[in-house]
Amino acid sequence: MAAVGSAVGLGNVWRFPYVCYENGGGAFLIPYFVALFTAGIPMMILEFSVGHWARSSPPKAFKKIGKKWEWVGWWTVLIPFILAAYYVVVMAWCFSYMIYSIDLRWGINAEQFFLKSFLGITSSPAVIGGLRAPILLGLLAVWVCVFIILYKGVKRIGKVVALTVPIPTILLIILTIRGLTLPGAIEGISYYLTPNFSCLLDVNVWLAAYAQVFFSLGLAQGIMITYASFLHKKSDITNNAFIVSLADAGTSFLAGFTVFSVVGYLAVSQGVGITELGIGGPNLTFITYPTAISLLPFAASFFGMIFYVALLTFGIDSAFSMIEPVTSGIHDKWKISKAKATGIVCTFGFFASLIFATGGGLYWLEIVDHFIANFGLVAIGLVECLVLGWMYKIHKLREHANKTSDVLIGKWWDILIKFVIPFVLCILLAVALVNNIINPYMGYPWWIITLGGIVPIITIFLLSFILMKIRGKGVET
Amino acid sequence: MPLSAIAMLIFGSVVLYGGLTYFLYRALKGNKK
Repeated sequence: MAAVGSAVGLGNVWRFPYVCYENGGGAFLIPYFVALFTAGIPMMILEFSVGHWARSSPPKAFKKIGKKWEWVGWWTVLIPFILAAYYVVVMAWCFSYMIYSIDLRWGINAEQFFLKSFLGITSSPAVIGGLRAPILLGLLAVWVCVFIILYKGVKRIGKVVALTVPIPTILLIILTIRGLTLPGAIEGISYYLTPNFSCLLDVNVWLAAYAQVFFSLGLAQGIMITYASFLHKKSDITNNAFIVSLADAGTSFLAGFTVFSVVGYLAVSQGVGITELGIGGPNLTFITYPTAISLLPFAASFFGMIFYVALLTFGIDSAFSMIEPVTSGIHDKWKISKAKATGIVCTFGFFASLIFATGGGLYWLEIVDHFIANFGLVAIGLVECLVLGWMYKIHKLREHANKTSDVLIGKWWDILIKFVIPFVLCILLAVALVNNIINPYMGYPWWIITLGGIVPIITIFLLSFILMKIRGKGVET
Repeated sequence: MPLSAIAMLIFGSVVLYGGLTYFLYRALKGNKK
C-alpha cells in the first residue's frame, strides 16, 4: 500500500498532463505505454526483487551485490532528494491554492493569477527575484509534515496511505466528469488520445516518456528498493509490481482526461487551437484544475478545498518516499538515529527548495526537472540495469521473485533487463544529449543550463563516490 | 472524435484498468488462500 501511495502522486496529476501536452498529446501516449511495459514494469519487478532480497536501504543493497557498487545505491537515493526539493514546492503551491479555494481567488483568469499574482514571475531565470511569502509558508508546512511522518516510521505509512490514495482519486473522477461536460472538452480529449505517428521518430518524445515512467513510478530513485525491504517475506513480488505500476499509470491516464477536457474548453472559449494556448509547462495543471473547480455547478469552494487537500495528501506520500531512502541510507551507514537522519535531510531539503520559491523559481524548476528527470533518472536506470543484469546473476533475482510470486516471470525478463532496456536507454540518452548540445534547452544561455542541469547531476555523481568511500559505522555485509 | 483516439481510449482503459482489476483479484484470491 505504501508503494502504491509513493508511486501515485503529483507525478500523475501534475507532471504527466504537462509532459503529455508538451510532447504532442496523443503523440506521447504510444511511447508512454511502450516505456511502461518495456521498462517500467520489468524494472519495478527488479527493484522489488532487490529490496526484498537484500532487506536493506539501496546503498547497502548494492553493496551486497558487490562492494564497489555501493555508489550506485547512493546515486539512486540522492536523485530523489533533488527531485523532492522541487516536488515539495509544487506541494507548497497546492497548499496556497487550498487556502485560495475558499474565495476562488484566481477569478476568471487562472493563468494570469498563477503567474503574475501568485508566483510573481520574473522575466527570465537570470532574474531570481525575491522569495514569495505564500510559497515559503507552504514549503515550511510541507517539510514539517514530511519530517513528522518519517519520524513516526515507515511502517505506519501504510495506514496514512490507506486514506491518502482513495480520496484524491474520487475527487479526480468528479473533476473529470465536470471537465467532460464542458464545451470543447471533446477537442481536448481528441488531442490527448489521437496518436500522431510522425512524432514516433522524435527521440525527445521517447526520452520524455521513459523519464515520466521512471519519475512517476519512483524507479531509479531507491524508493521501491526501500519499500520492498519492508515487505513480508512471503509477499508476492510480481503481483505487487504489476498492481503498483498499473495503479500509477491508470491515475495518470485519468488525470489526462481532467486536464485535457479543460484545455479543450479553454481553447474553444479563447477561439484558438489547443497547441496555440501557450499554457504548457509545470503551470498547466495550476491553470486547468482551478478553471475546472470554478466551473463546478455548486459548492465550488468546498470541492476546491477538498481537491487541494487531496492533492497535498497525494503528494505527501511521494514526498516522504523520496526522502525515506536517503535517511535510511544515512541511518544504515552511520548508525545515527532515524529521527536525527530525517531532521538533517529535511533541513537540507528545505534550504535546497528555497531557490524554487523565488520569482524566477518556476524557470529553475523547469530546468532542474528537465535535466534531473530526463538525464539523471534515465542514466541511473541504465546503470541499475547494467549492474544488476551484468555484474550479478540476474536469474537469481528472477528465481527470488518467482519463489514468492503467483505469476511466474520467464527468461524474457532477463533479456529485457540485460539487453533491451540498456540498449534503448543508451540510444535515447546519446541522441538527446547531442540534441541538447546543439539546441540548448529553451534557448537558455549555457551558464544557466550548467547551473541548473549539469552541476546537480555531476554533484550527485561525485557525492555518491564520496559517500561510498567514507567509512560508516554500519554492520559490514 | 477520430477512430484512432477511440482505439487509444479502449486500449488504455482495458490494459490499465482491466489489468489492475485482474492483479488485484489475484492478490485478493491469494490472500484468501
